[in-house]
Amino acid sequence: MDLDIEGVRVEREGRPVLEVASLVVRGGRTTAVLGPNGSGKTTLLRVIAGLERPRAGRVQPDPMPHVAYVFQEEVFLRQSVRENLELGLRLRRVEKTQARARVAEASGLLGISHLLDRRADHLSGGEGRRVSLARALCLRAPLVLLDEPLQGLDEPTYSRLLDELPQLLAAFDATTLLVTHNRHEAMRLAQDLVILVDGRVHAAGHKHEVAARPRVREVAEVLGYAVLDVDGRRVAVPPGALRPGPGRTEFSLIVEDVLDLVESREMVGHISGVRVHVTLPPVGATPAAGERVSVHADRVCDIA
Amino acid sequence: MAELLAVDAAAWAIASRTILVSGAATALAVFAGVPLGYAIARRRFRGRTALLGFINTGMGMPPVVAGLIVWLLLVRSGPFGDFDLIYTRRAMVLAQFLIATPIVVAFTTASLQSLPPRLPDLLAVLGAGRLRTMWLLAREARLGLLVAIMAAFGAVVSEVGASMIVGGNLERSTRVLTTAIVTETSRGNVERALALGLVLLGLSFLVNLTLTVIQQRPRA
Repeated sequence: MDLDIEGVRVEREGRPVLEVASLVVRGGRTTAVLGPNGSGKTTLLRVIAGLERPRAGRVQPDPMPHVAYVFQEEVFLRQSVRENLELGLRLRRVEKTQARARVAEASGLLGISHLLDRRADHLSGGEGRRVSLARALCLRAPLVLLDEPLQGLDEPTYSRLLDELPQLLAAFDATTLLVTHNRHEAMRLAQDLVILVDGRVHAAGHKHEVAARPRVREVAEVLGYAVLDVDGRRVAVPPGALRPGPGRTEFSLIVEDVLDLVESREMVGHISGVRVHVTLPPVGATPAAGERVSVHADRVCDIA
Repeated sequence: MAELLAVDAAAWAIASRTILVSGAATALAVFAGVPLGYAIARRRFRGRTALLGFINTGMGMPPVVAGLIVWLLLVRSGPFGDFDLIYTRRAMVLAQFLIATPIVVAFTTASLQSLPPRLPDLLAVLGAGRLRTMWLLAREARLGLLVAIMAAFGAVVSEVGASMIVGGNLERSTRVLTTAIVTETSRGNVERALALGLVLLGLSFLVNLTLTVIQQRPRA
């Protein structure tokens, strides 16, 4: 199911927080909406889910078929996990035996079968997230909205769930919109990217097209590029592409610090006011703070 | 002591009248107050904070003042005098309704506002309609809602001023436990007053015990 968003405008206290002229989310794929905090990502999801009415514009299909929505924070009824999972199915009039089967299947896939009789509002962060995802999965909705599904988890839980998510997204077998501010999550989980900054869509399309060649500063920065001025032009340097020493596109860096990361070293400095990180080999000369050194990038993109 | 225990037929009539009047007032207050509390908790509208402030003030309204207001409205020469309600049980229900409603509204608002803020959104996306959402939220907030009912009933069953003013403490029609206690005490029948006081306490205890059992019942 394709999702068509046109001329959508949302205001808060008279100030626009979301202005999407035109955006098509392609059906049957996972699209990551990537942007900094406060860029309007959650508002976009809320408009799509029908929880917020835009001042102008429309989202099609209208009315939206039932969606599955995983909120940023855990929201449960003060009941058992099983009752929480069954609630949406009951509200959507799914027949009882079928509902039980779906709950069993979803909780099996998310590894929460042992939690079914526990109180849902007494779960740990990781367990709660799994239950939220299972609740969404049970619904078998054609449209799935995930708002920062991995935020706020401790490192082991985060890594494990991140590893499991691709399989889960396949199980959803739906048009999925994933909101995140983390570009690694976006690249790893989605096929398509939407870059949202200050409520506006600055780029949208297949992740390779969007991420390989950012054309504007906002997109480059969201994707972790360093936007630098060199020889009278503005370029974006891909994350991790700066190397020590002279080379093809060369920059002059003022060293701030050199960090010992055990397996490597990282030089922190700034190039005409923009802070950058450059990986150094584990052994070799250590530049002093305040020293001016040459660094280079083999690949840069021109920025408008 | 014998008189203390020998609660006669007249006393039982007064007790059952008390339950009837205060029960009806509480029921009406729940009927009006829960939806109003729900609206205040869920919606943002102009004057909302002022309304809530007004209601919170109403929680502390002296019953005697509520009685006076209703008396002024219902007295023969008043705007609703033609309805001939003054010195009836209905007038008492009305006065007690005025006392109970702010309590129900305030407790309902507070208990609904203490639910997770995203819960209504969750119910909406799961497919709950407006009435179903209201029911599910009320069920989630049932601890607070039952406190609202207990507090409202407790306030009206124990008030004396309003019942005295608008009911007139007529022996066979509008005398309730509190006004009866006042009467007996002023007549010097302290033992009988004490006995009626015990009946009132017992009554309150029974009602609150029932509500507490419902409130604390573990959910399967």
